[in-house]
Amino acid sequence: MLLKRIQPMVFQARRLYVDIMFQVMGRALQAVSEVDETVQNEARALPKGLLFEMMVMPEGPRLIVEHIGDGYFHYHGQSAPRPVDLSIQFKHIAHAFLVLSFQEKTSEAFANDRMLVDGDVSYAVRMTRVLNRLETFILPKLIAQRAVKEYPANLHLPEKLISAARIYLKVATNFVETVRP
Amino acid sequence: MSQKYYEFFCPVKVIAGKAALEHIPYELTGLAAKRPMIVTDKGVRAAGLLDPVIAACEESGLEIVSIYDDVPPDSSTSVVRDIAGVYRQEKCDAIIAVGGGSAIDTGKAVNILVSEGGDDIAKYSGAGILKHPLKPFFVVPTTAGTGSEVTAVAVITDEKKGVKLPFTSSFLLPNAAIIDPRMTLTLPPHITAATAMDAMTHATEAFTCMAKNPLSDAYATAAIKKISGSLLNVMDNPKDAEGRLELAQASTMAGIAFSNSMVGLVHSLGHATGAICHLPHGLCMSLYLPYVLEYNLESIREPLGELLLYLEGPEVYSATPAARRAEATISAIRKLRDQLYKRCQLPRTLKETGKVQESQLDHIAEMALDDGSIMFNPKEVTLEDARAVLRRAWA
Repeated sequence: MLLKRIQPMVFQARRLYVDIMFQVMGRALQAVSEVDETVQNEARALPKGLLFEMMVMPEGPRLIVEHIGDGYFHYHGQSAPRPVDLSIQFKHIAHAFLVLSFQEKTSEAFANDRMLVDGDVSYAVRMTRVLNRLETFILPKLIAQRAVKEYPANLHLPEKLISAARIYLKVATNFVETVRP
Repeated sequence: MSQKYYEFFCPVKVIAGKAALEHIPYELTGLAAKRPMIVTDKGVRAAGLLDPVIAACEESGLEIVSIYDDVPPDSSTSVVRDIAGVYRQEKCDAIIAVGGGSAIDTGKAVNILVSEGGDDIAKYSGAGILKHPLKPFFVVPTTAGTGSEVTAVAVITDEKKGVKLPFTSSFLLPNAAIIDPRMTLTLPPHITAATAMDAMTHATEAFTCMAKNPLSDAYATAAIKKISGSLLNVMDNPKDAEGRLELAQASTMAGIAFSNSMVGLVHSLGHATGAICHLPHGLCMSLYLPYVLEYNLESIREPLGELLLYLEGPEVYSATPAARRAEATISAIRKLRDQLYKRCQLPRTLKETGKVQESQLDHIAEMALDDGSIMFNPKEVTLEDARAVLRRAWA
């Protein structure tokens, strides 16, 4: 009975969590492309102007970033200026929650058919590597190990901390700038 | 609560064994189809493989209304459009694809156009675009390796844009796959070997990669057992119909396995090598399989060790200490490749192919890293890892 009563609140909290995580990830994608050379090299292979979307089906939360050239991403928020070129779509908010709460790795989510790719699969593979790289920077190692297939052995603490600090600073700045009227 | 989750889907009716082709008329009638069209290639026709299919239908009073036998090895959007034109002109109502991967993929793509309408197959490219069942579609494989008869994917080249268009939908699956030993009886030795190793790789990767599940595992292990039990016999006695049927069934079973659990790095490297060096897919699979298993070893030790039972039988399995079974599995695959090399010179290294330059390895590694199947490899692959595997596979 109690469970039934609190269930709507749980669903709402889950949706809010996914929504906030998408906002953080979108901004963090832009930030990591500004601070990490490996991410820039990955992104350079994407066409300039490519719009990448990560969303929850059917009309749930989403994040949209654009490759603005030379390996840099720009976060567009929840709405795209034109039709997106590549979309990774979670089939349900519960699946997005599993991934964004680090209970399921992105690669596991693909293997478990939790999400679909609409667009060039090779770009999706590349964006997954970028997301993994981002997660290894911004998450504590113990949590990052749950989020990525393999935690990179060559990522040492000083580099991780410095990169994470720069990414978080940029994300915070972006939050302040975008919410300011 | 269990954290495991999987999906498994295969609605294809498998019609396999002696006189299987003779079931085609009955099965078509059951789907209210009366005017089938055959889609095939010149090689299949020249080998006389259409004759038993046509005879089986005519004997039952079912006329094959049209035969398109000009499917190229890499089928294109214009070929698909042309065949759809013939289908409409002749008022056909079903498609029978007879051949290997290209003819089957072409049949799937033609079925999209004739069922959904239009002339531009490119607009149906992608995943989940199709929303309705298509026209009756049967597949008669003439190789025992691709497993295309049970996969929900087709790849067609857009010659204008110079890109390969993928089509993914469960509606692409045929209504029936007809596995008749007569269709693979004349397959030359090197193609028999390469396609069987293609099926072996499908099954091995299905069993060891990230999306493995109990149902695909059952198909994968059964396929490996059939291949290891029959391949060398068939190589020594090409007219062994029993053995041919075993390999054909193994190919279908491996196809069911990998289409439900995906594949990994062997396929990523194989796709890249095929695109850059134009090596046949089955040959690439055979070539890379042991090197990739060695690379993945510590991530797949347990499932790989289990495969020893299906490769070498219960005596060898029980005599091998559990801790050594994974390595023994790789040795068994290497031994099989050596036997195939002895019988038909199926290359075991990139150098032995004579078609790959050492300078191309970096390009292959870079391309492999962007291949979709790398996502399902149990171990994360970096560019340096891919290069290292290629160097080991070189000579």
